Amino acid sequence: MSRLSEIPIRIEPPPALGGLGGGVAAILSELITLLERLADSQESAAIDLRSLPMNVDDLAELRRALGEGEVRATLDAEGMSAIRETKVPGVWWVEHRDRHGELMAEMIEVTRMPQILMSASEEIATGAHLLREQLALRSAPRIR
Amino acid sequence: MLRRHGISRRGFIKFCTAAASAMALPPSMGVAMAEQLAHARRPSVLYLSFQECTGCLESLTRSFAPTIENLIFNVISLDYDDTLMAAAGEAAESARTQAMQDNFGKYVLIVDGSVPTGAGGAYCTAGGHSAVETLREAAKGAAAIVCVGTCSAFGGIPFADPNPTEAWPVMAIVGDKPIINVSGCPPIPEVITGTLLQFITTGKVPDLDEHRRPKVFFGNTIHDRCYRRPFYDEGKFAKSFDDEGARNGWCLYELGCKGPTTYNACATVKWNGGTSFPIESGHGCLGCSEPGFWDKGSFYAAQSTALWGKAGESSPREVLELTASAVAAGAVIGAASAGVSRLRQHRSAQDADQHESNGDN
Repeated sequence: MSRLSEIPIRIEPPPALGGLGGGVAAILSELITLLERLADSQESAAIDLRSLPMNVDDLAELRRALGEGEVRATLDAEGMSAIRETKVPGVWWVEHRDRHGELMAEMIEVTRMPQILMSASEEIATGAHLLREQLALRSAPRIR
Repeated sequence: MLRRHGISRRGFIKFCTAAASAMALPPSMGVAMAEQLAHARRPSVLYLSFQECTGCLESLTRSFAPTIENLIFNVISLDYDDTLMAAAGEAAESARTQAMQDNFGKYVLIVDGSVPTGAGGAYCTAGGHSAVETLREAAKGAAAIVCVGTCSAFGGIPFADPNPTEAWPVMAIVGDKPIINVSGCPPIPEVITGTLLQFITTGKVPDLDEHRRPKVFFGNTIHDRCYRRPFYDEGKFAKSFDDEGARNGWCLYELGCKGPTTYNACATVKWNGGTSFPIESGHGCLGCSEPGFWDKGSFYAAQSTALWGKAGESSPREVLELTASAVAAGAVIGAASAGVSRLRQHRSAQDADQHESNGDN
């Protein structure tokens, strides 16, 4: 009986999943339609990348096709999220990660600005109230 | 409310977006879900455990999206769970009955474990009441019943031959309430929480298959989405758990994998927050989300031999001989199962299109 250390180990790359993945051209075509709709009617949309049968190579190809834009935003809420506009205006690549760094969701949003970046109306009013309180504290006479 | 629990608005949107993605809902549902849940009163949820091993609850507590604490603190009001709650005895039971009265007709009833009916129901009793009595009483005021795990969905291991306690699944006991079966032994944590979240957010029972399982999670076989499928198609099978084929990650069909006839989300959603699933870790699928899987022959005999031979009663040599002759036929079974799965999905899509064109709701 051979020893465990004598059993040869050969690492082979996994088989290419051609036929299951792909569809980058289809996504780009869909983005054109969504961008035209955004331009005409201001209607935003999103594509959930995790719902599509894309492998690592397909995602890389899609990233290359869309490129990098001027805007990058980092969101620190229940973990880090990266939101960046691609070189195509109105097309945003959004990655949400949890506190452990695990990818929770990955999508492409077609919009003027992803809603998650915008401040909510009710929170803006609360913000004004908080600042007013801070200002009041600063102005209050100090007890010597 | 969110701020009181230390959750920011954006953090909650993230959580709902991830949950919507996990449930294969449109991305826009994430924001809609967040808005609805942020302002809605948290629905009352009662969790009843009967003839079970607690594996399903253990699975639920390991959900990554949403986590159990997110679920309990932000989404639902878990008013009864005899394993998790601090109260016990009369205090716990009075909390349950009070929640049932206060939320009659609106609470979500989660059940794990099968329901034994033998000996007048004496095989499973708590607080002087049998599981049958407790289930029937709780079902009266439930908006829906979510059966978590194969035991409550299909009877599970207690139901397996010879079924000494005369155990039955929930749907055999309760017939007049919407029932959603989230089967699996145990189910994937995110499948449990995703199903709960979908019902709680929309108020509607999701699309179900013929076994009342949510199609979004149980619409494909493991085989349909298995990353080892190319090896199956090329006829590369591991013959033992430590041979070169096994080390190269070849198909586990000949080692008993029941992937071709098992509907579940293991190959896509996976376990431990998307880390792996049994096949990826080198072990064939047991078929644990299917009815009667405990009685369908050996877990380690090729599916074709279990169906055609008596693999569970044969000697290892006989099993090997049956396996060798059945592999080619087994490949046909696998292809046929995939074809059946596709046909189900195609017919389902056609039905949906027909309903839409007829203006049905």
